[in-house]
Amino acid sequence: MERAIPIPMLILAILGFCYLLFPILVVVLAGLTTGEFLTFPPKGLSLRWVISFLQSEKYLSAFFFSFKLALMTMVVSTILGTAAAVFLARSRFVGRSALRAFFLSPVVLPGVVVGFALYAFFITSGLGISRTIWGLWVGHILYSTPYVIGTVGASLATFDVSLEEAARSLGASPLRAFRKITFPNIAQGIQAGSIFAFIVSFGQFEVSLFLSAPNSEPLPIAMYNSLRYKFEPDAAAAGIFAITLVIASVLLTNRLVNIRRLLERQDG
Amino acid sequence: MAYVEFKAIAKSFGNFVAVADLDLEIEQGEFFSLLGPSGCGKSTTLRMLAGFVKPTKGHINVHGRDVTALPPEARDIGIVFQNYAIFPHMTVFDNIAFGLVERKLSRPEIKKKVDAALAEVGMTGFEDRYERELSGGQKQRVALARVLVIEPEILLLDEPLSALDKKMREEMKFWIKNIQKSVGITTIYVTHDQSEALTMSDRIAVMDQGRVLQVGSPVEIYEQPASRFIAEFIGESNLLKCQVTTLDGSACSVNLGDVSIPGRLSSNASVEPGQDVALLVRPEMIRLRPIEANEPPKLQGTVSETIYQGSVVRYRIHAAGQEIMVEVANRPDLPRLNTGDNVATYWSAESGVVIP
Repeated sequence: MERAIPIPMLILAILGFCYLLFPILVVVLAGLTTGEFLTFPPKGLSLRWVISFLQSEKYLSAFFFSFKLALMTMVVSTILGTAAAVFLARSRFVGRSALRAFFLSPVVLPGVVVGFALYAFFITSGLGISRTIWGLWVGHILYSTPYVIGTVGASLATFDVSLEEAARSLGASPLRAFRKITFPNIAQGIQAGSIFAFIVSFGQFEVSLFLSAPNSEPLPIAMYNSLRYKFEPDAAAAGIFAITLVIASVLLTNRLVNIRRLLERQDG
Repeated sequence: MAYVEFKAIAKSFGNFVAVADLDLEIEQGEFFSLLGPSGCGKSTTLRMLAGFVKPTKGHINVHGRDVTALPPEARDIGIVFQNYAIFPHMTVFDNIAFGLVERKLSRPEIKKKVDAALAEVGMTGFEDRYERELSGGQKQRVALARVLVIEPEILLLDEPLSALDKKMREEMKFWIKNIQKSVGITTIYVTHDQSEALTMSDRIAVMDQGRVLQVGSPVEIYEQPASRFIAEFIGESNLLKCQVTTLDGSACSVNLGDVSIPGRLSSNASVEPGQDVALLVRPEMIRLRPIEANEPPKLQGTVSETIYQGSVVRYRIHAAGQEIMVEVANRPDLPRLNTGDNVATYWSAESGVVIP
């Protein structure tokens, strides 16, 4: 068959892609402007504001702060989310399906609610972590983990439990059966979940708004604060780097996972 | 003492009773089938023996040892699943080696045993393949090799042929039976397919609704079914409504229309004269030929339908107000009948089984 998609649908799809990719185009071009102010379309193209971003103490530290926070969040969310997904898939208890539905739709916990609840709790409980990276970490984990539960849960749903049972009756303990059989077969779901957790944390705004301190703020907060007072294109340049980082992290994880798989095949 | 003993085993899932009060004894080296329709509890029974399902009550003994509380990895029982459960991320070699690696054997030992297992199932040369590169029959062979290589006490087979096409199924039926015989391993086979159970088993337990209805050899199950359910589930059957007239031990005679016909009582059944019963006559046991004086059971009827099936011809006979299916070998020395022909049917007294 030459073309399986009807033409009206094809046109809609192309329009949809344009619509979705338009913000990226705006950010990239606005960041490459030669003008003094943030405009679209840009006035000429130069690396002026990219260099300005790279020399800006404020943006660079915010960028690396967000990077560190996203990595920390990714590690904990991946572990917690995977364990929770396995538990939800394997155990039977009253309210399991309600709990699963709750976790498989991460949108039920708006960031504003998470941020505000934690802010109020940190302030009034005197834990001493309000407006520190630790408080932010707690908030970001809370916000990102459901994404991991969702992706790992989806890969567990297609995983055939009899593989694990076969391993058990061949002499493997529950832990070994999980490590040698279940884990390699749901690794892609875990990997996707961890990328989600990283990206969600890196771009998180509402939770961070409540929990970040003035001198150590994540990139989205830094961009927002900066644009409130001046309309300079280095915010857009920061956006370029944020997009690049997200794309690079996806590509890199893909690469790493493939390499790991390759090694596994060889020594197995 | 039997090799495998189920003692008053029961399993419920919430309000659903999967297995109720099950007692079974399986001998060492036996090929034992659990046969029944889906949902009869046969798979649950197997999974309780494998250790995947904990019985609600009762005990399971293997070789005199109570294994009821043991986890699957401590039971020394091998299982082949319906979908074979070949580990998709491992090669055929690593699949078969899995149990040996868990038993911490040395590399050369593992290599030797896996090679021998591959040879035994005729899969030498497939070591480096992955599951997705194997056909259904090949997966079956790998799954069996993976289990046999650890030399378990018991082999469990959970509907292992149902995913194969008909031709392959016929082939694998004999292949599995041969392997089982040559290894001599005690085997429990779960199936809903009566022809598999009849062909392969030393003994069969017929199950329905969580209970064992009858245990016996294929011949006993087929020729002396204990109930109408078993008679209808196993093979094709004519169950003719009739009344007991006389009774003498296991020999009895029944009234079918206005003809008195001798039969024998099914095993363990008890009936009284005058009782409404069913007379089981298998289609292939009935002949349609001129009656001879010393072959008394006969019933006059008319052919209402003829079905040509190549190797056999089937006739639907209307007689004594009932429909009787008759199967006749397609041979030139046997008469061919047409719809509307009047015929006499007869069968030997042993072929008529009286079932309460």
